[in-house]
Amino acid sequence: MEADVIDRPPAAPGFFGRIGAGLLDVLQVLGEAALVFAKALRSSGLRPRDRARLAAQLVRVGTDTLWIGALLSLFVGMVLVVQAADQLQQVSQDVLGPIVGLSMTKELGPVLMAFLLAGRAGSAMAAELGSMQVYDEINALRTLDIDPIRFLVTPRFLAATLALPVLILYADFIGVWGGALVVAIDPAITISVHAYFNRMLEWVKFSDLVIGLVKGLVFGMIASIVPCTFGLRTRGGTEGIATSTTAAVVWSFILILIFDFVIVRIGFTFS
Amino acid sequence: MTSKRGIAVELSGVRRSYGGHTVLRGADLHVEAGELLAILGQSGTGKSVLLRQIVGLERPDSGRIVVGGIPLERYLAMPPDEKPFRIAMVFQNAALLASLTVAENVGLRLYELAHQAPEEIAAVTRRALEQVELAGAENKMPSDLSGGMRKRVSIARALAIDPDLILYDEPTADLDPILTEQIGQLIARLRAVRGATQIIVTHNLFLARAVANRIAVLDQGRIAEIVTPAELPKSRYPLTREFLRAAALEG
Repeated sequence: MEADVIDRPPAAPGFFGRIGAGLLDVLQVLGEAALVFAKALRSSGLRPRDRARLAAQLVRVGTDTLWIGALLSLFVGMVLVVQAADQLQQVSQDVLGPIVGLSMTKELGPVLMAFLLAGRAGSAMAAELGSMQVYDEINALRTLDIDPIRFLVTPRFLAATLALPVLILYADFIGVWGGALVVAIDPAITISVHAYFNRMLEWVKFSDLVIGLVKGLVFGMIASIVPCTFGLRTRGGTEGIATSTTAAVVWSFILILIFDFVIVRIGFTFS
Repeated sequence: MTSKRGIAVELSGVRRSYGGHTVLRGADLHVEAGELLAILGQSGTGKSVLLRQIVGLERPDSGRIVVGGIPLERYLAMPPDEKPFRIAMVFQNAALLASLTVAENVGLRLYELAHQAPEEIAAVTRRALEQVELAGAENKMPSDLSGGMRKRVSIARALAIDPDLILYDEPTADLDPILTEQIGQLIARLRAVRGATQIIVTHNLFLARAVANRIAVLDQGRIAEIVTPAELPKSRYPLTREFLRAAALEG
């Protein structure tokens, strides 16, 4: 691509101009992400070749997050028990099971795994699509009458959306067992593993699991659509790819937290 | 792959700006069906931008583009199966999909449209690769290929869709003189064999003279002159004279 012929240098914006430009940029990103989401949703009817691409993306998302997700969940469950046990020493450690169970299923499992997905698989999506954008591969698809959204975004979107709820269940399971491990071996904890699980099962309801899974679906969409949007809007060579990748992860984290609040608020309103 | 007559391309008053930077200032151009036109110009004068307008990757701010007698907007809005002709583009950096093999890259459109059996697509792919002298490279990955080979795979990908118009964006950029000559010979051979309209954007005067029916000189965002290769040395246009002088020095 050639450089432009310069007529006149654009005037540097002032303070308010920069704020206005920043706001416009935020609105543009949100608009583009909404458009990419709508197009990906519309092209979700899978043909045989699309199914092969979806399977490949599911494997990638899984291999990117499975081991590190297990490690993260294990230690989060363990730390939760140690912290809570210390705080509850003067009262009763009976509620350790419910604390770990409810924290993992309703909040920590979904948010941690969504962050992990956005940080690992999401950043890879932004970098890959960004590189394809910079090196004209996406334009090449367009000239071949191939829709880049169907070809590139839809498999990633479906893979992340389908995989995250499963990864959350997996994280919940490992986190709860991480807590049980500490209960079993830490002499400062006075309750038995049996009591830990019994009390947990009394408190954690099926609806708590469902809330975590609903979050997983929404966060999975965010953790794929946002990186893909940033990948597709990449400009300016290698530096542009790096900028897009970083922005994709930051935006994903922020939107995950905002939607987390919205889902929790709506949940309490209707409960 | 049948022999084609090609389609005519008509640009009138095409303007394109980026922010405060005007690149095309009302470009007018007529390319005959079956013609091979080279667009010559310095780096940064908007040659690639002009090509992107013709293939529809970017829209002009104003002006009109007609391909094969159909306004470009209408052509682009047609479903792929209903388009009366096909336009292919060979990108400057080849733009092969890194995760696909050579054969998958070449047959990509055919596999995606899924109108033909895989065996038929494999045959089309093989023929396209034979035309660019890369038979047997089907299972290689783009990362295993040299720059010249990647360019040729990119040309094969264009040929596989049986195009009526082929656009080349700096097809010999970053190639050594020997590879440049090979690519030039390949383009000239394709013109003789296939008859599709071809537009080459280049700053390589030797390539333009060797393969083109006519040479259009792009300067200051406009087509400044159009000459045949025979008329080129007699041109009085300053930029053309500069190109000829530089080429003579290189020669």
